[in-house]
Amino acid sequence: MLLARINVVTEAANAQPCPDPHPRLLDRQLVSRCLAQDPVAERALYDAHVDRLYRLMYRMTGDADLAADFTQESFIRAFERLDQFRGDSSLATWLHTIAVSVALNGMRKVKRIQARTETIDDLPSLTTEAFRFTGDLKARLHAAIDALSEKLRPVFVMHDVEGYTHEEIAGSLGIPIGTSKARLFDARAKLRVALAPFAGDRAV
Amino acid sequence: MNDDRIDELLSEGARDYNQPGSVPREEMWARIEASRRARAVRAETRTRKTIWVWPSVGMAAAAILAVGITIGRGIERAAPSAAAPVAANQTRLQPAPDSAQTPSTQRPTTTVASRDSLINELREQTRNTDRRAHELAATRDLASGGEPAAETNLAYHLVVLQHLAGSEAMITAFRTAAHRGEMDAQLASWSRELLSTTRMLEASAATRDPTMKRLLEDLDLVMAQIVQYATHGTNNSEELDLIEQSITTRGVMGKLRGTVSARNAAAGT
Repeated sequence: MLLARINVVTEAANAQPCPDPHPRLLDRQLVSRCLAQDPVAERALYDAHVDRLYRLMYRMTGDADLAADFTQESFIRAFERLDQFRGDSSLATWLHTIAVSVALNGMRKVKRIQARTETIDDLPSLTTEAFRFTGDLKARLHAAIDALSEKLRPVFVMHDVEGYTHEEIAGSLGIPIGTSKARLFDARAKLRVALAPFAGDRAV
Repeated sequence: MNDDRIDELLSEGARDYNQPGSVPREEMWARIEASRRARAVRAETRTRKTIWVWPSVGMAAAAILAVGITIGRGIERAAPSAAAPVAANQTRLQPAPDSAQTPSTQRPTTTVASRDSLINELREQTRNTDRRAHELAATRDLASGGEPAAETNLAYHLVVLQHLAGSEAMITAFRTAAHRGEMDAQLASWSRELLSTTRMLEASAATRDPTMKRLLEDLDLVMAQIVQYATHGTNNSEELDLIEQSITTRGVMGKLRGTVSARNAAAGT
């Protein structure tokens, strides 16, 4: 019986968009069971959200180990702070807020470590002649996405790569929806600039 | 240049950006559970008082220490292939003259004992150590505080060393049994007892030493995994791999052997 109910919660959380008219109620039920240290509920919460969180972490890091580390840390923090979940947003949004924060902080650390071991000259630059004429559109685009600022890249990755809505992005990043849209606009503009020479070649 | 074309290229190219593979669900869940357990123990540890040492236990612990030194040899005789590293290590350890007089080292019957009786014997010996360690903790909890005497410190170190030697033996026995598919209730309860003592020691003065603190935390994690595996008795090779991974990546056996060996020598036993 419990398993069946948990499954309902899990399926509801997995569905996009959620078909249940009361997803917040299901979130609260699941959370209250987790707070009662019900291992089945904890696993159900994990199963319901892990795929989407891991995908986002992978998209943001491009590294399987980092993605796994950040996903794990996100769930560990979520379980630790579950009593702070008030249901103002959906559980998915709340989890994404934690995950994005973990990923951004983690990436900062990774970059600091990389900065100690690499010189700037070793890194590919969008302005170097060598890179400009690689002829590989995807490589150029991906490098351009990598080079986006910390504010623009999560918005672009979540929206254009992973298909999140502006509402979800705004909730996860703690910014207004208008800001999310503006950042996406800026990110696309920068990427267009990076792709312009290549598009010119092909657009003929 | 064509803006629509650029947007099209952007949309196409972005889909492949950092394309994720399959989600390592079970691996991540296992690590989440292990990490949460370890954090819970650390949180519990912070809330406890530091324990006092019961001096009289020291002498008993010194005698029991010899058990740990002979444990590896016993396991090796019962399972030559799996316990070879332990035996190799144990040859470096020299038992104290006093401790050599303990019944366990005087009994060559372990060489011919069956696996069950050998494990039973080892378990009984580590259980005695664990009982004393728990008595220590209980007594110290009742004490009013202050720095223990040097003699008391030595006694306490010996209890911890004895526990580490017993833990090494249990892990070796577990590895042997698990790889042979011979997991049983005896190993499950043995590992539970040792986990309980490990957690008690994590809340003790032993953790004043950062190296010992890390070792006990690593041991806690591995023991918890073993308890879970041994209790469920599923012979799941993936779970076994995870345990092996924990033992290997954390260098638990090496740390156990190194600590027992170094501190055994330092204590003059």
